[in-house]
Amino acid sequence: MSAHAAVTTHDAATGGIVTESGFRSTRLPDVKLLMWVFLASDCMFFGSLIGTYLAYHNRSLTGPFPVDVLDIPLTTVSTFVLLMSSFLMVLALHALRNDDIPKFRLWTLGVAVFGSIFLGFQVYEFVHFVNAGLSIHQNLFGTTFFILTGTHGIHVTVGVLWLLSILVASYRRPTSSKDAVYLEIAGLYWHFVDIVWIVIFTVVYLVEFV
Amino acid sequence: MSKEHSHGSVGNYILVALILGVITYVEFAIVEYPQAWLGSTWTLVILVVLSIVKFVMVVMFFMHLKGDDRLYTGFFSSGMLIAVLTFIATIAMFILPRAMNYSNAEMVRAQAAGEGAAHAEAGHSAELDPAVADLIATDGRSRTAAEAADTPRPADRSLTIEAPTAPNDASTYQVDTSTPAQPDAIDTQAAAEDAAEAAAAAEEASAPDEAAVDAAAEAEDVDGADATAAATDEPSADEPSADTAAEAADDTASVAWDEAQGQQVFNANCSACHQANGMGIPGAFPPLANHLSEVHEAGGRELLVQTVLFGLQGQIQVEGMTYNGFMPGWAQLDDSTIANALNHVIVNLGDGAPDDFTPYAPGDIAAHRADGLTPAAVHDIRAGLALD
Repeated sequence: MSAHAAVTTHDAATGGIVTESGFRSTRLPDVKLLMWVFLASDCMFFGSLIGTYLAYHNRSLTGPFPVDVLDIPLTTVSTFVLLMSSFLMVLALHALRNDDIPKFRLWTLGVAVFGSIFLGFQVYEFVHFVNAGLSIHQNLFGTTFFILTGTHGIHVTVGVLWLLSILVASYRRPTSSKDAVYLEIAGLYWHFVDIVWIVIFTVVYLVEFV
Repeated sequence: MSKEHSHGSVGNYILVALILGVITYVEFAIVEYPQAWLGSTWTLVILVVLSIVKFVMVVMFFMHLKGDDRLYTGFFSSGMLIAVLTFIATIAMFILPRAMNYSNAEMVRAQAAGEGAAHAEAGHSAELDPAVADLIATDGRSRTAAEAADTPRPADRSLTIEAPTAPNDASTYQVDTSTPAQPDAIDTQAAAEDAAEAAAAAEEASAPDEAAVDAAAEAEDVDGADATAAATDEPSADEPSADTAAEAADDTASVAWDEAQGQQVFNANCSACHQANGMGIPGAFPPLANHLSEVHEAGGRELLVQTVLFGLQGQIQVEGMTYNGFMPGWAQLDDSTIANALNHVIVNLGDGAPDDFTPYAPGDIAAHRADGLTPAAVHDIRAGLALD
């Protein structure tokens, strides 16, 4: 959350920005561009994991099979919680941009709490699956399912920790709308985790019961 | 720094969140309360479209990609594009070899029908009986699409599944043998196993002849008609099952083995990887047809038993291809079952058994049960053989 009061001047010829650290032609905040590039690479990561899940789909020799253990009502609720956390995320960013620090803190805490609830659902689901005999070694479904949803769960965990650290930082040093870009990139990451879950919810859970 | 015009209003955010919530409920409702008039294809299409709508809405309005600098859109959509291509490539890696296997199966079928003289050099001499054809049709899947569709939804949590007690507990590797849609074969299989177990029990007794008679009687008691149907096969087509059981129980008369059970066991447990014709999948699962005869001739009669009992792990060369995989042990199958499966591969797949081949008897398997090898140790023994 450090507020870099970067000395910037406009370069009239290119429309770019010259800072004390050199010339930039993109006119964009570096951290935000970096986050979008990271999210692009994370797309590829999840693309291959989801592809692998589908490639091994229906090829388990032994149960439990997806229809035996997946629970649509439960997962619908956790999906809804994650969607609403994204909603709180944009509210938090909106509040910070308007220098409404109390609301920014409230909504950011809300996002972290909703993310934790989602993780709670996932832990409950994993425990239930293992009790039903579906360990990561049990069959191809177990291996690909746990790797895919587990990787997503780790992303959510990182997001929760990141948001909490932003929240703590807001108490330790003065925070204002100038720092919005740092909350914004955390938000981009959070929304990305949400859209990955939108895909997983459809591909892994819903389609199984069609 | 950021462009203020790309920021949405709170009202817009609430609207987007409402739409996202409604879509999620609609998805849930479509799946949980399926409508007959909405076919499964359309259900699938609707679900995919709805999830894409949600995806795009979050990206455009929550991540503000709509109205933000197009460089972000460029980077992100490039990543998405590569992700989709990776996804397609991953799926294709699995579909293409299987598609090629299908044509291979067609070739074998044509040859069995006497129409494939041009393909004679391919070396496939296996005849396709309906059970094998079914297995090829289901592509070794554990459940057919129809079966998967029939599975009741776990509406409540009443469904209980026993957790495996130990990693190598027999239940861990139990395979649903009803898959190839041949209901008759299930009864036959069960009866054959009963007969085999009775025979094995007889073998352990000190007075083989008397015990064999008992065992035979027991086998008939279990299910007289079915046991007869099961155990009567080419070698003893006109004999009642009692004789087959008695022969199996007698170590000296080890020539007789249950071809029907051998094929059944192989198709149920081995063909998912090694394929029903025993040709394997080049590069992934090594062929067994002909190769087992090679190993047998190279002094590997014991090794084959150990491989089935304890598995195999490590790099091997088979017919010029390198395989580096893992095969689990199948010690949970009983002695006569393993013997019949091995005999099925060596005698009935590929070019058939070598002239000096003596079919495995249950005792040959039992002799190695106590070896207690690891898959890697089996690999070391295999490396000691003079294989190419």
